[in-house]
Amino acid sequence: MSMEMSSSIVQSLLPQGADLLGWISQLIFWIIFIIFMFYGQRIQTTITLREIESSLFRLKLIRDRGRTIAISTIKEIGKSTEDPTARVDRVLEHIDIWPVSLDPAGIIGRLEHLIDVRELRFKDEVKLMVPQADETQINNLTNVLEATLGLNQLYKIVRHYYLLGKKTLSFYVIMQLQMILPLVMKESEAYASYLRASTVGQPIGDGVGALVAAKLMYGRDKRKVAKDIVVSEVPLEGRTTYVLKAEGPGANGGKPGEAIKQILEEKEGKIALVIVVDAAQKLEGEKTGEVAEGVGVAIGGLGVDKYKVEETAAKYKVPVHAVLIKEDTEDVVSTMKKTIFDGAEAATEKIKRLIRENTKEGDSVIIAGIGITMGIAQ
Amino acid sequence: MSETPSPARKVSYFLIAAISTMLVLSIVMLYQVFDTYRKGGFLDLLSMTISISAIALSSYMFIQMTRKPLKLGFEIPKVSTTIQCTNCDYNNIRDFQTGDYVLKEAGPCPKCNNKAIISSILREVTEKEK
Repeated sequence: MSMEMSSSIVQSLLPQGADLLGWISQLIFWIIFIIFMFYGQRIQTTITLREIESSLFRLKLIRDRGRTIAISTIKEIGKSTEDPTARVDRVLEHIDIWPVSLDPAGIIGRLEHLIDVRELRFKDEVKLMVPQADETQINNLTNVLEATLGLNQLYKIVRHYYLLGKKTLSFYVIMQLQMILPLVMKESEAYASYLRASTVGQPIGDGVGALVAAKLMYGRDKRKVAKDIVVSEVPLEGRTTYVLKAEGPGANGGKPGEAIKQILEEKEGKIALVIVVDAAQKLEGEKTGEVAEGVGVAIGGLGVDKYKVEETAAKYKVPVHAVLIKEDTEDVVSTMKKTIFDGAEAATEKIKRLIRENTKEGDSVIIAGIGITMGIAQ
Repeated sequence: MSETPSPARKVSYFLIAAISTMLVLSIVMLYQVFDTYRKGGFLDLLSMTISISAIALSSYMFIQMTRKPLKLGFEIPKVSTTIQCTNCDYNNIRDFQTGDYVLKEAGPCPKCNNKAIISSILREVTEKEK
């Protein structure tokens, strides 16, 4: 009797016929609601980790492909029987320890010394792998190794934070990584483009400043003024201009800061104007190849060259103007495209106008074309 | 340098046939479920769930098959070298060759026999980039 009663109570609680479907959906809804209430963040964390994992996999593929290209390029140029793989792998694990900045006095000198040592070390490694390579090939291969090293470091940093987030299940570590991941992927693609261009020595977008200088100094006598920098005396708009750039066509940045400093010292500050031409990061919405003007030393890098020019220009009270050719991050390290090449033409016209407007006939002007001069001679 | 273009992704005809058969059968099954419900008022929930899942699965597999291979950024763009005469209007555009660089002497001009140089090395821009 009691069994029958309890069964009828349960039956009356459960919906009958057509109501059954609605009842099931209601139940599913409440189950999902409760699961999300308690485990929502955990589910989101797992989904985010999966997304990071797929980007990390892609990053690993890019790193491995970069390493393979670097090794095959060295083998191809070196033509040696010795396998360079172990040496390349050792270079890929290279770590830079930058100078202490607790007491910033004299940091520029220390930083410059470390940069010099680093550059020398990389070039020595290349020379050991490819002993018969000429200067251009050494410079290009050094850049190939730099790009591969960059890819390896990017991969390792992302993998570190991914594993850290997975281990601790820290929502904030994982979210921060996911938020910067699109920019990291863009950077890795830029490295890949740079590596590809370096293997064959094609001019890249960053070399547009050097291209402007190269065209101005073409056919003129050149002399070396600082490490890897050449200068020519070019008459322009009735003024004497000292046009300088890194020595090409190898992948070279040189020391333009030191070169400008030396010319200013040589002329005892009797320079009416310094014009620095360089590629600059464009903002989204701006056109590639657009030319902008400004005041100041437009030299990238860690700041050693910029410091030297600022210091000497301030000493002699020489105005420093900048002519900037706008480019996207990817364009800076990819093979040069026409809009950037046209930007170089427009930049030359702006330089001429700046000289006419800011100096008198007979004055001396320094024009510095900044950038990696890969694939651009002089 | 020694990079070769990646081969196009190959899709098995057997796989296409299997997925197509699964898609057609699941659509027929779904139609039958609705037909039975319309005629007799009986809704076969199990068959409906299975057929919808099969449609979703086969559509997903089709999408995956048509996806382009993963691009890593190492794809070789078309790069052209422009050779110009320093004296006349001679201008020649050819594919980039290893060893080319801007302002490199490119032999005598075929028109006036003066010096010709490489005036530019440019990457061709894809429609997407424009």
